[in-house]
Order: sequence, then C-alpha cells, then structure tokens
Amino acid sequence: MNFFESIRISLRALRANKLRSILTMLGMIIGVAAVIAMVGIGNGATASITSQIQSLGSNLLTISSGQSNSGGIRGGAGSSNTITMTDVSKIQIGTAVKAVAPVSSSTGQVVFGSGNTSTSITGTTQDYQVIKNVTMATGRFITEEDVSNSARVAVLGPTVITNLFGDENASVIGKIIKINNVPFQVIGVTTATGSTGFMSSDDMITAPISTVQARLIGKKTVRNILVSATSSEQMQAAEDQITAALHKAHKIADGKSDDFTVQNQADMLETMQSVTETLTLLLGGVAGISLLVGGIGIMNIMLVSVTERTREIGIRKAIGAKGVYIMMQFLIEAVVLSILGGGIGVVLGFGGSTLAGKALKLSTSISLPSVLIAFGFSAAIGIIFGVFPARKAAAMDPIDALRYE
Amino acid sequence: MINLKGIKKIYANGDIQVAALAGVNLHVGASEFVSIMGPSGSGKSSMMNILGCLDTPTEGEYYLDGTDVAQTSGDQLSVIRNRKIGFIFQGFNLLPRTTAVENVELPMLYAGVGSKERRSRAIAALESVGLGGRVHHRPKELSGGQQQRVAIARALVTNPSIILADEPTGNLDSRSSEEVMAIFQRLHDSGNTIVIVTHEPDIAEYTERIVRFRDGTIEGDEKVTNPRKARVQVSEEGVAK
Ligand SMILES: Nc1ncnc2c1ncn2[C@@H]1O[C@H](COP(=O)(O)OP(=O)(O)OP(=O)(O)O)[C@@H](O)[C@H]1O
Ligand SMILES: [Mg+2]
Repeated sequence: MNFFESIRISLRALRANKLRSILTMLGMIIGVAAVIAMVGIGNGATASITSQIQSLGSNLLTISSGQSNSGGIRGGAGSSNTITMTDVSKIQIGTAVKAVAPVSSSTGQVVFGSGNTSTSITGTTQDYQVIKNVTMATGRFITEEDVSNSARVAVLGPTVITNLFGDENASVIGKIIKINNVPFQVIGVTTATGSTGFMSSDDMITAPISTVQARLIGKKTVRNILVSATSSEQMQAAEDQITAALHKAHKIADGKSDDFTVQNQADMLETMQSVTETLTLLLGGVAGISLLVGGIGIMNIMLVSVTERTREIGIRKAIGAKGVYIMMQFLIEAVVLSILGGGIGVVLGFGGSTLAGKALKLSTSISLPSVLIAFGFSAAIGIIFGVFPARKAAAMDPIDALRYE
Repeated sequence: MINLKGIKKIYANGDIQVAALAGVNLHVGASEFVSIMGPSGSGKSSMMNILGCLDTPTEGEYYLDGTDVAQTSGDQLSVIRNRKIGFIFQGFNLLPRTTAVENVELPMLYAGVGSKERRSRAIAALESVGLGGRVHHRPKELSGGQQQRVAIARALVTNPSIILADEPTGNLDSRSSEEVMAIFQRLHDSGNTIVIVTHEPDIAEYTERIVRFRDGTIEGDEKVTNPRKARVQVSEEGVAK
C-alpha cells in the first residue's frame, strides 16, 4: 500500500462526511485567514507610517530645546527655550550638513474679506524649502531677503486657500490677508502633499521667521532647528557636528547633560516601526491562537471519527492492515483537513486583507513567508493534533473493534 | 497445517474468570473441510478467533504451517492474517460505503499488490462466487447471500492457507446457505483447507469432519461418512453474456 492510496482512502472518508469536514476545516480557515489578513494589514500599516515619516523631509535632524537639568528637574524636549537664532549660524554647512533652518511656530486667525480660518503659522528661512522638499504650485517661497527685511509675506498651503478663499483655484498671489490682524502679502502657494490631520503641510502658512517672531509671537524664540544631512550615511556625522557645535555655543562641558535634543528621523522611523511590528506580532499572535483552536477542533472530530469507525478499523485490521496503515489513514485525514482549511484560509485572508487595505487606505502586502508559515503551521497542526486520534485507531485490538456496536 | 496443543482462553471480568477454552488439542490437515458444532457459549467463536489470529490464547501452542503463532502479536499477526488466513464472519463485515470489488481488493491493498493486478484478481474472485455482474454494487445494494459471497471472495482472493468461517450461514436463508456451501465445497474440491462453525446439523453435513465442542473442550470428533452434495450451483446472475 502506498502513500497515494492512503490519500485516496482518506479523501473518500472526508467526502463521506462533507458537512462535518467543512465545519471542521472552518476552524483552520478562520485561523489561517486571520493570520494572513492581520499580518498583511500590519505590514501595510508599517509601510504607510514609514512613508509618512520619510515624507517629513529627507535625512532630517530636528534640534529641540530642553532636556536640561534645572534644580534636579529634568525637563522634556522643548520644555524650555534654550536654542536660539545664534545656534543656527553655529551649524556650518559642509560635507555632512546640507541645510539648516530654524522654525518658530504660532497659530493664528487668518482673515481675507469675509473668509476666515484658523491655522498654524511656521516662521522659518529660505532653507526650509530644501529641507522639507516644499514645491510651489504658484508664486515663490520666502527668500533670504524676506527674512532679513522681516517682510510681511506669506506662503499658503492649498487647504488654507480653500478655507480662506472658498475656492482652491482662486488667484491669490499679491492678495493681502490678515493673520491675527497683521497684514501679510501672499507670495506663493505650495502644492498639495495629501497629508491630513495635525501638522498637515497643506493646512499651514509659512512666513519669514523674523516676521513671525516680531509680529506674531512677540519673542525671539526658536522652537526647532531643522537640519538636513547630505545623505543618510552622513546622518551620524551631522548629528555629531551639531552636538559639538551646540556644546561649544552653550558651554556644556563633557559629561554634563545637554540642554537640547537632536532627533534623528531614522530613530523616529525605528520607534514607529517597532511599534507597528509589535502590533503586527500581537495581531498575529491572536490569530495564531485561533489556529490552535482550529487544531483542537480537528483533533476533536478525528477522535469522534475514530470511535465512529471502530468497526471499519476492526475489519481493516482483521484482513491484515498493520497498525501503521491505520495510523497513516487517520493522520492523512487530519492533515488533509488542516491543509485544505489552510489553503482556503490563505485565499480568504488574502481577500480580507485586500478589502481591509482598501477600506483603511493602506497598501497591504501579503508576504510569501507569511503564506508559507501559515501553510506549514496548518500542516503541523494537522499532524500534531492528528497523531493522538490516529494512534488511538492504530492501537485498537481487532477483536474488540469488530465487536464494537 | 493447523495444530493446537493445550489451548486455553481465559477471560477475566474483574474477579470472575471464564475459561472459554479449557485446553483444546486439534489437528486440521491440508485440504480438510471441517465443521465445528456445539451449544452456545461452548467456545467455538473463541477458538475461531484464535485460529484466525484475531486473538491470542492465554495458554498453549498454535502451529500454523509449522510456526508457532500463539505468542506473536500486533503487526506480525496482521501480516499472518493477511497472507495465510481468509476469515468469513457471520455478519459479513464489509466496508459499507465501498463497492464489492473494492472490498475484495482490500486485503491485496495491504499486501502491496499493484492496483491493476488487484482489480483483475478481485473481479476474478467475484466471478468465481457468481457475482461478476455485481462488481460495483455497494453492500447495502446486495442481498445477505450476495454480501456473504463478497466476503468469501475477499477471503479467498489472497490464496490463503486456510479459510475460516464463523457461522457463515447464520444470517442467511436456506437457499442462500446452500449456495454458500456449494462455494465452499467447490473451494474444497480445488484443494483449499476450510473450517466453519455452524449450529445447523444439515450445514455440517456438507463438510467431511465434525468437531463437537462443550464447555471449552472438544467432546467429539467424527468423520462424515457421506457428505451431502450442494445441489444448488451458484447461478451466474448478472454476468454479461
Ligand atoms: N470478550 C469476552 N469477555 C468475557 N467473556 C467472554 C468474551 N468472549 C466470550 N466470552 C465467554 O466465553 C465463552 C465462550 O464464548 P464464545 O463466543 O466462544 O461461544 P460460542 O461457542 O461462539 O457461542 P455462540 O454459539 O453463541 O456463538 C462464553 O461463556 C462467553 O460468555
Ligand atoms: Mg460464536
């Protein structure tokens, strides 16, 4: 008797009890589909967060005030204003640093005619455009001259245009708008980036930092200094350069704690990725438990099936089936159930994650490893949970089995 | 062929011990046709199960074709059952959802016979018991007599050393019984060794030797002087002509 004949016998037995076989497989189907879908959605979320962070700017380092030790109280990043405009000039453009731009921010009520909206105002310098990859739909970005003259000019995001003028295509260049009652001339409109929500680059006004500090904030505070490294390999060098320059400027001796923080975009990325990876693992784990439950379902049904077919086992043994053949027969049944369930689960999981991806606007990705793992796992579950019933069947005494009613 | 020496079978139900066989000595030579009779509970089935290697004796020696099989167990017994023994049960014991030919193929499946040869031998065996036209019927589509003939075909298809039947006609009417006995007589005529258990004296008269059991021992052993000939020959019903 060979393997294929064992499979044939097993398939026939499964077909004889179609409904039961399908219900048993359902456990595996749901388990595997859940694993595939969850991991797919998790991967999609990771990819989406990664691209969002990357869209913040290329090779970005963010310097913030804070982490100073004042009177034993350690302030968080940004808890005090320790970085200043002079720090900006201390960071030299060179092999590691491509561009530096200070940022001051405020929020304000913006008015044009009868239109008004509330938005955030970012005061910065011309280098901001390079650092943040800002592209213009019309007009121009702020210039060095605007900054040195404290010119009352503003670059508007497309969402601001819509909110303020009621029409995204309104011609706005040269128009005078009022931000917190201070008149500004519109000099440019940025292209839409599609980012939404808090800190959206579309719902934002950019103006010279000198103007924002003098007219809107009233203080010469700098919230962040943005630094763009020349390449991702130069990130560490740039960070070292910044730290050294600010140590010198702030007169911080070696070993003393810094009064500023340098945040690396890569660090942020790593943190976010580790968060979503943990989430993916968690979801996968929950789905894995449902696989386990599916496996127990298979064992349960196989035990019932062995008991039900005691007479058949007796007949087969009486005419010369060795224990191993009987065992194979039931084991293959269990494995066929689990693999078939796993296969259907893969297809459903694929569909499910694609649908969820559409609904959540994520580009879900099904990785080959997750499919293979799900398949391998279901086969393993079939074997593990099939062995016990199969051994029970194989160990039956032919006489007892034949007498069984 | 078969040699039993001091075979005992003791069933223990808690403290109560039942000696189903209390020391049986029996010799069955090649090409013999033997029937075993005796009152209910006298140990006939217990002995057949031991003869058929379905069960092992508590005590004693059982030589089958010269080898002692009394103390073998498990898979080795499976192999012996498969190669040397054709067992026919009172209740037929066919696989219910499986066709006649597939039922007959089953022992060859476990013997490792290739599928083509299996099929042709199974069909030949079914034809020899007059079921050439019922090859693809399932057990519940067959009469009792036909089911028993499928079981006989399954028992003889591997050319076993010995064919054992425990009350093969117990569930059959007289005509079907005579058909079954006709097949046994024909198998016997072509040299097979056959042992059957029966309650009915007129069935026993078809055989050549009657062994009588009582209380787990052999009470009598006699030759049948003039065995009855089964007049009904198996009709070749359903065979395509
Ligand atoms: N599995 C068992 N457990 C306990 N006792 C048993 C078992 N099988 C048989 N017996 C006992 O052994 C004795 C012989 O039984 P056996 O079935 O061999 O009788 P038999 O001659 O075949 O009877 P019948 O003609 O009714 O079939 C009986 O007393 C029976 O109760
Ligand atoms: Mg009996």
